[in-house]
Amino acid sequence: MESLFAIIYSFLDTVLPFAWAASLFMKRAFLEIMLITPLCAIVGIQVVNSRMAFFSDAISHSAFTGIALGLLLSINPLLTMVVFGVLVALGIAKFKTRSDLPMDTIIGVFFAATIALGIAIISTRKGLSQTLSSFLFGDVLTIAEMEIAVTFALFAVILIFIALSYNRLLLTGINEPLARSQDIPVNIYNYIFAIILAVVVTMGIRAIGILLITALLIVPPASARNVSRNVRQMFWYSLVFAWVSGIAGLVISFYTDIATGASIILVASLCFLLTFIISLVRR
Amino acid sequence: MAETAIELVNVSVTVNHAPLLKNVSTSIPKGRITALIGPNGAGKTTLILAVLGIIPHEGEIFFLRDGRRETTRPRIGYVPQRLDFDRGLPLTVLDFLTLSSQRRPLWLGYQQAKRDKALEALREIGVEHLRERQIGRLSGGELQRVMLAMAISREPEILLLDEPAAGVDISGEALFCEFMTRVQREGHLTMVIVSHDLSVVTGHAEHVICLNRTVQCQGGAPEVLTPENIMAVYGPHAGLYRHGQDTCIHPLHHK
Repeated sequence: MESLFAIIYSFLDTVLPFAWAASLFMKRAFLEIMLITPLCAIVGIQVVNSRMAFFSDAISHSAFTGIALGLLLSINPLLTMVVFGVLVALGIAKFKTRSDLPMDTIIGVFFAATIALGIAIISTRKGLSQTLSSFLFGDVLTIAEMEIAVTFALFAVILIFIALSYNRLLLTGINEPLARSQDIPVNIYNYIFAIILAVVVTMGIRAIGILLITALLIVPPASARNVSRNVRQMFWYSLVFAWVSGIAGLVISFYTDIATGASIILVASLCFLLTFIISLVRR
Repeated sequence: MAETAIELVNVSVTVNHAPLLKNVSTSIPKGRITALIGPNGAGKTTLILAVLGIIPHEGEIFFLRDGRRETTRPRIGYVPQRLDFDRGLPLTVLDFLTLSSQRRPLWLGYQQAKRDKALEALREIGVEHLRERQIGRLSGGELQRVMLAMAISREPEILLLDEPAAGVDISGEALFCEFMTRVQREGHLTMVIVSHDLSVVTGHAEHVICLNRTVQCQGGAPEVLTPENIMAVYGPHAGLYRHGQDTCIHPLHHK
């Protein structure tokens, strides 16, 4: 794998002959951002269209507890974060099929319970809070090659799933009974999407942080919606806005010392503002 | 007696301990238009959802193929009474129609055959001009017609329409009547219309099922749509009103 990364680094030296891209940690950060931002955008389109932003927020905050559990049990916290996130997502999805309570109430209960559990763990082990703070804001500049490889594998698998099920997922998001009437196995799609969302959110936390990962999911697709006239435009514009925000945010953070996650989301929010103005002018 | 397409045996639906349907046993004839009538809250939409498998039920629902009872559903086209969706979604009418038929993700463009089929369905319902319009910007009547086009683009064996004339304007109603007349003439589509608008029922239905939680009466339209039966299902203030010679008669107003 080292020689493969050596080839990629040498390629980046050729195509990105800039001061910000000279160091190895920036190259790694660039690669991670090139993968995680479109991944979040692709998944985020469904999050926006199915009004699942709060769901995604609950999963990202559950990562906090997942990491605390990992540190407490001396298991790799990245692993416990992903597993715990998936369990919370499946728990919410299962509860939804069995309860008449509104979806946001169910999510609110899970959100509160997982955060309370996380705080309970941290309060008993004072030393854990420092490690957790790096996950709150994310740190793409310390990303390792193995993590980039995992993100790449994830990107490939999720892209294949999304390509095969995009239309059905979209119809499910539009109206579930209509999707069911067309023989779409809505519950199966909902569970699979909940797992994918949990994995993407928890993987993205390393780069962007617990507090801002939901923004990376929803802001680029929301900007795309402002200026799109059809489904194709929304997909491609979301990708463009995600990449532009990711790379511009990384470069800005290099020259200004602003936390990378924050600068990415600030650029994404600026894109949203501009597209919103465009949508107002068009009306 | 016509061949049966759908057979319901003692179908009951209970939601939150409230019985919405109780022991419904009935048959829906193949290749005919069946009207499902009854007052508000009679369980008409629930029955349709049970047939679609969207709502859990007790009892049996069979789909008959070559005289054999099967529980596997054939291809069904469904037009809901109202479609709740995010109206800001940038989804055109053509996108909407190809969503369910096309496997290739829409962001890679339309498959020619699927696009042609969707356009043909839109043309058949007289709404081809709406193909590039966003579905959230359609009027109630336009959306109903687009939904009908979506349902028939699936080339269904059974078509279930829940209050298809609700919210449809005059020109839409005429197009809808034309469509019903054509379905009736061709005779290879089994159609169930839920309606409390008896003009649609008297104009087109060959078979009528009166529902009020359970089947009140059923049979051929002339035998079932008697003032006595109407009064029994809808109450003492209802009656049939006929205006002019149109195939579609003006609605019944029950006060």
